[in-house]
Amino acid sequence: MNALEIENISKRFGDFYAVKNLSFKILKGSIYGLLGPNGAGKTTTIRMVMNIIIPDEGAIKILDGKMDEGMKQRVGYLPEDRGFYPKMKVGEILLFLADLKGLKRQEARKRIDFWLERFDLADWKQKKVEELSRGMQQKLQFIATVIHQPEIIILDEPFGGLDPINTKLLKDIMLEMRGKGGTIIFSTHRMEQIEMICDNICLINKAESVLEGNLNQIKKQYGKNTVVLDYEGDAGFIKNFPETDKIDDYGKFMEIKIKEQTDPQDLLNKLVGRIKINKFEVREPSLNAIFIDIVGEKNAQDTVSH
Amino acid sequence: MHKILSVIKREYIQIVRTKGFIIGTILGPVVMAAFIVVPVAIQFISVDQQERIGVIDETREVFMELDNKLDQKLKDGTRRYLLEEFKPSANIEELLQELNKKVLNKELSAYIFIPKDISEGGEAEYVSEHVSDFDKRGNINQALSSIIIGERLRGEGLDPQKIGEYMRPVKLTTKKVTKRGVERDTGGTFIISYLLVLILYMTLIFYGQIILRGVIEEKSSRVVEIVLSSLRPFQLMAGKIVGIAAVGFTQYAIWALFGLAVSQYSKGLMLRFFPAAAAFEMPTIPSYIFIYFVIFFILGYFLYATLYAAIGSMVNSEKEAQSLVMPVTMFLIVPILLMLFVMKSPNSSFSVVLSMIPFFAPILMLLRICVLLPPFTQIAGSIVLLIMTTLLMIWLTAKIYRVGILMYGKRPNFREIVKWMKYG
Repeated sequence: MNALEIENISKRFGDFYAVKNLSFKILKGSIYGLLGPNGAGKTTTIRMVMNIIIPDEGAIKILDGKMDEGMKQRVGYLPEDRGFYPKMKVGEILLFLADLKGLKRQEARKRIDFWLERFDLADWKQKKVEELSRGMQQKLQFIATVIHQPEIIILDEPFGGLDPINTKLLKDIMLEMRGKGGTIIFSTHRMEQIEMICDNICLINKAESVLEGNLNQIKKQYGKNTVVLDYEGDAGFIKNFPETDKIDDYGKFMEIKIKEQTDPQDLLNKLVGRIKINKFEVREPSLNAIFIDIVGEKNAQDTVSH
Repeated sequence: MHKILSVIKREYIQIVRTKGFIIGTILGPVVMAAFIVVPVAIQFISVDQQERIGVIDETREVFMELDNKLDQKLKDGTRRYLLEEFKPSANIEELLQELNKKVLNKELSAYIFIPKDISEGGEAEYVSEHVSDFDKRGNINQALSSIIIGERLRGEGLDPQKIGEYMRPVKLTTKKVTKRGVERDTGGTFIISYLLVLILYMTLIFYGQIILRGVIEEKSSRVVEIVLSSLRPFQLMAGKIVGIAAVGFTQYAIWALFGLAVSQYSKGLMLRFFPAAAAFEMPTIPSYIFIYFVIFFILGYFLYATLYAAIGSMVNSEKEAQSLVMPVTMFLIVPILLMLFVMKSPNSSFSVVLSMIPFFAPILMLLRICVLLPPFTQIAGSIVLLIMTTLLMIWLTAKIYRVGILMYGKRPNFREIVKWMKYG
């Protein structure tokens, strides 16, 4: 059963395609990641799902229906451009937004206290929003998104501006919600965030989907052709090895794509003694590597065709 | 509907709580009361201090009579003016210098110089440190005039007994003719028209600005997209406009109650302090004017609120809004500038046409109704036109609003706005 079905939607602003022929389906009870660099069309896609922007072409089906008044009660939305009325108190603004979602006052109060407690904001309930830090406001916005226990939550860049502790808290809550049958869609331009919690992903680049599907399958598809090396010393010489295809060197940490038909053990043997090796792991490529792989190729093609 | 209600409630509570609203609500009636009470009070105010006034009477005949005539009393029954005669000496300049010094030393609050030829047109002089005391100068001028004129008439051989009768001033009573007959009017029509129109003008601008600021705040704080995940842009706009209208009615209700209290008790209060005010009549507002005021406030409010909401959705900051607000404010200022003209000739075709133009109608038609009730067809016509224009504006603004409210960055030009209207 699908929570969201997007079929061939396109949106143009003037001559510029913000989204082009995008299709994907999201299974109920899963976490779906919309991935792509800045300006790829993630926010436009999400706004079309929310019926804020109307697609030029294509169809969107959410929970087997349309995004109308009634549907909005079943959906939680955290926009990328988000903020609160600065003069309202924390408790008031949450009560107002819960009220808009049709929550009974008493129930809303109970849930607000629960969530403020959980996000360590209970002491701020009577404070004005403008007195809160950005990170606190962000937590508040997340509370507003889930206060009415929506069946689907749609989060546009939910982790931006959060510290590691709160990022983890948010991830835990998202996993918890999935455990209770909730569906979560979120966008990000940071791959490692998707890798940890997503079941399925859609990779968008320049308005078009370049990769879509189950994250595990995608990774398997790319095979165990990657070596992750945690090292000390000067490893610049590795790129001259015939076994290596592509290298992302981060200084103390290296992701190496090895050529087909190559045994990673040979590579390990050649490294021993030349640098200090803290970790040598053979695995699927990281999403980052896959992304650069695809987007890099695509960009290369564009250059040729022009 | 529940959602619009939530928005209305939020707007209402948020605004009513602000210091601006509380201060404005309290200051409003104070200013209004000041408008009414101060001029009246000043008229009848009596200074609680005796004033010594020097008199140099070259004729040697006027002083006694002046002393009799200037018999205004203070509250405690003593004389307000204590006159002191200074005999004109040979060197008049020296005497004047001396009196000037006395005025500066506050021994005298003023002195009067009466020349020998006063009956033949010579000018009397009033010398004081501050010469803006109209009340005192008025008293002296009146007293002197009646003495000198009486003197002249006696000189012509008229019967002194009858002179007082001859010199009775003419009284001018103003009356207003309406369908119901002739009524006395002590200038109340003017004051009421002026006050009502001014209140309407100020509240339209005031609440328009609140809406403008509210929409801009929603945009700049980025709350709008969160709110729109629960309701449609039109619901948000409608809730805001109605919520702030409710604020306006609250303020009016408070003011009306205050006004009622003032008109109930003010006379008694004023009489206690200024017994002379007994002659003053509180103007009364005919109920039909009141009803039309409410109608034109509601219609004018919705027309202008919509315009301000449209502007708010188009811009990113209040600063950016200024140039767009100007023409809207002009629509409100123009009728204020034309007010005196319309009051003078409320039935001229120019006034009639102006009062039918929807943007001017709330102020100018109301003004005409106050001054001289126009034919009902004209009133109804202007109301119908106003309603139609308002509906058209709401329709257009809804289209602009739903696109503009989510648009950040460069302010749209006219062509883009037209395109937005087509989107919807």
